[in-house]
Amino acid sequence: MATAMETASPSRGQKLREFWQDYRRSPVAVISLAVILLLLALSFGAPLVTPQDPYDMAALDWMDAFLRPGTEGSGGYAHVLGTDNAGRDMLSAILYGLRTSFVIGVSAGALALMAGICVGLVAAYSGGRIEALLMRIVDLQLSMPAILLALVLVAMLGQGVPQIILALVVAQYAYFARTTHGAATVERGKDYIEAARSTPLPTRRILFRHLLPNVLPPLIVVATVQVASAIALEATLSFLGVGLPLTEPSLGSLISNGFKYIHTDRYWLSIFPGVALMITVVAINLVGDQVRTVLDPRNRR
Amino acid sequence: MLGYLAQRIAQAVVVIFAMSIIVFVGVFAIGNPIDVMIDPAATEQMRDELIRRYGLDLPLWQQYFLFLQNVARGDLGTSMIYNVPVVGLIFSRLPATLDLVLVSVSIAGLIGIPAGIWAGYKPDSKSAKIIMALSVLGFSVPTFWIGMLLIMAFAVHLGWLPSGGRGEVGTILGIPTSLATLNGWSHVILPALNLSLFKMGLMIRLARAGMVEAMRTDYVKFARAQGLPDRQIVTSHVMRNIMIPIVTVFGLELGSTLAFAVVTESVFNWPGVGKLIIDSILQLDRPVMVAYLVMVVTLFVLINLVVDLIYARLDPRVRLKGGA
Amino acid sequence: MNVRALKSAVAALALLVAAPAAFAQDLTIGVRAGPDSIDPHWSTLGSQAETLRHIFDTLVDVDEKLQLKPGLATSWTPIDDTTWEFKIREGVKFHDGSPLTAKDVKFSIERIPVVTGPMPMTLYTKYVETAEVVDDYTLRIKTKGVAPSLPNDFTRLFVVSANTGMEARNEQFNSGEKAIGTGPYKFVSWQPKGDLVLVRNDDYWGGAPHWKNVVRKEIADDAARVAALRSGQVDLINYVPASDYVGFKNDKALDTFISDSVYILNVQPTVKDVLPQKVKIDGKETDVNPFKDLRVRQALDYAINRDVLVNVVLEGLGTPANQLMPEGFFGYSTELPKREYDLAKAKELLAEAGYPKGFEFDFTCTNNRVPGDAVVCEALAQMWSRAGLKVNAQALNGTVYFPAAAREEFSVAMSAWGTLTGEAAYTYGALVHTRDKDKGFGNFNRTGYSNPEFDAVFAKGAATLNNDERRKLYEQGSFIAMEDRALIPTVILQTVWAAKAGELKFTPRVDQETRAYAIQPAK
Repeated sequence: MATAMETASPSRGQKLREFWQDYRRSPVAVISLAVILLLLALSFGAPLVTPQDPYDMAALDWMDAFLRPGTEGSGGYAHVLGTDNAGRDMLSAILYGLRTSFVIGVSAGALALMAGICVGLVAAYSGGRIEALLMRIVDLQLSMPAILLALVLVAMLGQGVPQIILALVVAQYAYFARTTHGAATVERGKDYIEAARSTPLPTRRILFRHLLPNVLPPLIVVATVQVASAIALEATLSFLGVGLPLTEPSLGSLISNGFKYIHTDRYWLSIFPGVALMITVVAINLVGDQVRTVLDPRNRR
Repeated sequence: MLGYLAQRIAQAVVVIFAMSIIVFVGVFAIGNPIDVMIDPAATEQMRDELIRRYGLDLPLWQQYFLFLQNVARGDLGTSMIYNVPVVGLIFSRLPATLDLVLVSVSIAGLIGIPAGIWAGYKPDSKSAKIIMALSVLGFSVPTFWIGMLLIMAFAVHLGWLPSGGRGEVGTILGIPTSLATLNGWSHVILPALNLSLFKMGLMIRLARAGMVEAMRTDYVKFARAQGLPDRQIVTSHVMRNIMIPIVTVFGLELGSTLAFAVVTESVFNWPGVGKLIIDSILQLDRPVMVAYLVMVVTLFVLINLVVDLIYARLDPRVRLKGGA
Repeated sequence: MNVRALKSAVAALALLVAAPAAFAQDLTIGVRAGPDSIDPHWSTLGSQAETLRHIFDTLVDVDEKLQLKPGLATSWTPIDDTTWEFKIREGVKFHDGSPLTAKDVKFSIERIPVVTGPMPMTLYTKYVETAEVVDDYTLRIKTKGVAPSLPNDFTRLFVVSANTGMEARNEQFNSGEKAIGTGPYKFVSWQPKGDLVLVRNDDYWGGAPHWKNVVRKEIADDAARVAALRSGQVDLINYVPASDYVGFKNDKALDTFISDSVYILNVQPTVKDVLPQKVKIDGKETDVNPFKDLRVRQALDYAINRDVLVNVVLEGLGTPANQLMPEGFFGYSTELPKREYDLAKAKELLAEAGYPKGFEFDFTCTNNRVPGDAVVCEALAQMWSRAGLKVNAQALNGTVYFPAAAREEFSVAMSAWGTLTGEAAYTYGALVHTRDKDKGFGNFNRTGYSNPEFDAVFAKGAATLNNDERRKLYEQGSFIAMEDRALIPTVILQTVWAAKAGELKFTPRVDQETRAYAIQPAK
């Protein structure tokens, strides 16, 4: 089964086309992909499409605070999703915030995934002292609360997106490392790895071409969940008071800010950012599911 | 086997030392604890005196050395905030967290795994799709948000369950627990549910992925062709195959819940250790931080040891080599 | 089917455990913060004092407006420049039945330096040279130098029995063994961060309080505290968040109680020669410190629209401030004008000072210390940007903010300051006076501000025992410091309590304490 990935080697374009044909079998997955692309375009093109720059303090007016959705503010346009306590247009803030959250979620998720896979695979394959050392470092980091890391980083480097990403990577890569290590420990005992070891194949090739594909399924599940939970974790850090600065809202800090109004009738402050996060995460997961199905070599007809 | 265990324990000791050093360096990087705690009206002299009294004027390595000396005498330190020995402080709040963890992990496992297996067994059925959709909700919305929604629904509007606190505490086997009384149960249900949602989502997804995977393997196809009933195939063959990632994640979640259920604990005002540790971190109560994180890391090493042992049970091909 | 089963199970459970209707003699309070210990000499923390007042009495008490009133001492008089005489109340009994005498007070004063922690209570005994028992009900305090504020300091002097013994450990207090005071309530049980359970002291010297059983639940999270009130788990909560206040006011099921607090958010511009975070002019860093120029500080002041801060940003929960203490406090200056919002004037002053195009600076605040600190921070940055300044606002967690502030790493900062003793020496001595380690002044002066004129007036005040003369000198000092914009006060924060409608009545206190024995049933 490990060889399924490398048997035929058609051109890249052809591979992509095949991939797309498989992918589009699920209409839900196609819609999800469209939603993600749309959200990406809207959030990264936010300066072009939003009526207001929520990061520009001078553009905000406190007299516009707490406008209900659809009300027209001093800017002369309707705030479709209302405004927050600083007079920030919620739609603009959500799109800008989404951009920050995408960057945080995806880069933290990807970096953690890569680091985790490397550590897990190397540990499982090498065994012995190296395995012990790596896995104990992982244990160490599993027990380190993200909030402590975030506090140390904020104290040393100030508030900012890179600090949050770093804290999340350190907090999350251990999950991937354990998961990879667990699955790889099983695989390394199987015949095909034993066989590969006896050939003059370079270790790197065995690790990434043979071992990795077989430990991938549970990893993809954990990965799609972790991208989402990175975004949610960032919200939690804001909730605990060590997140991003208020003046540069992320989806997470918008949610934790809106949380303050959860008992009031200003529903739009907490509901809309939450819904935006939910849509994003659901779409990412549905796409992730379909990609996994398509990539699965046993799924080919 | 014994040699293997001895090695793991030796490693644990090294990890524990590493953790205590990291905490010392981390606190040092954030700042002087006295500056966080001190009364703003205190004079410079009082501040200097306090810093001297707590030995915070010494070089970091000396502070650490003193800490080691005390540990050698069996003294893990006294909380700078609560002025009680840290071990007693932590253990006074541990049972509350244990209740929460036990119930939430049980909910996650008992509902999540069967639901995931079902969703993987009949991936195209409507019920499977609903299960999967619900599982996404578990981790797409921050815990504190869902927690408050649960409170608003069940405590504020319906008035069925209390909004927070631990309720009546009884004892089972000498351990104080909320699970001994009905009133206690009514308090534990909402926070445990809140805490279990993320785990449940993860369990469902892992179980389903494993199940889908396993159903396609040759031996299942073969077994089916042989006319074995599906129930038997699933319980005897498939389960064993999908359990490894589930056990791994289960172990991770067990540990992290035990240690950092902080968000749920603060929303539900649950008197557990999570809240204690976050407050200690925010106040830079170093003795509590060190003792607690050392305990947590020990716990993780233990859990992961158990998980590794379970691997070996589940799959004979896993060899327990030196170190792992 | 699963769902239905679960639902009926939950419903059945709910019926079984439904809380019995609370008795009219029980009071449950949801408080934001509780004590750190039951030892009354451990910490100066506000919530500690507030809680332990139920079990122990202080030598001197304060009313709702922080003005002194008799506590365990019935009167106090200065005998000479360095001696105060306190008359101790007769007939007061500790919870174990033993009588209170001057010996117990002396013991308490001497116990403080032995047991106090990182929030040192020695703050309240720093002027005490010796305590001398004249007879059972007379105590003389010899002070280090002239100490006019000694009775104010003693409003936090909790009296324990001399039988407690110097060796009493904190655990013995927490278990109740040593938690024996003269207060209106007796200790039943407590755990760190948990519920404090109290029972009425029927022999209380001030008359037994109304509620027989009082539980103070520590619910730190704002939303959780509100939920506890709404679901009926508690009868009263303190620190209603500003976000919920408007809704509460319109809610017929709830009563709200509002009061000014002692806390004021002050902007602290550093006036040292070199700024720790350099300002930028036209995007280039410069070594000049614009804040040394009074006109720049005035410009910052004129650009602040305090009405917007109060009415919009804090949703009505505040009062504009023109000095570091609320009105009526000892040393409050009535001469100071109301601070005006005048954007044109601010721009003009900036231009006069040589910054017609403004400059860029860092502004750092706390984000969790007092309600509203983070939003006011954001609003100030916005207001200053209107005056042509570019502001990089950062609201930091207190854990990060305070050590960095102590290292003086911020150019312009904002944090809250509460005049807890109700008089000016406490506030101006710490924040405005030139830093002077030997005299113990200026310990919280992080801006490097130093004004010999102010220092002279203040020093004279601190050495004057006559109340009226001292008050005048402090008023003069407040005036000098505020006109010079040593700090820029913005708003006095207000606090809100909420209770189930029509059940309770009490007078909110300016020190924000929630005293169970001062709460009465509405009917």
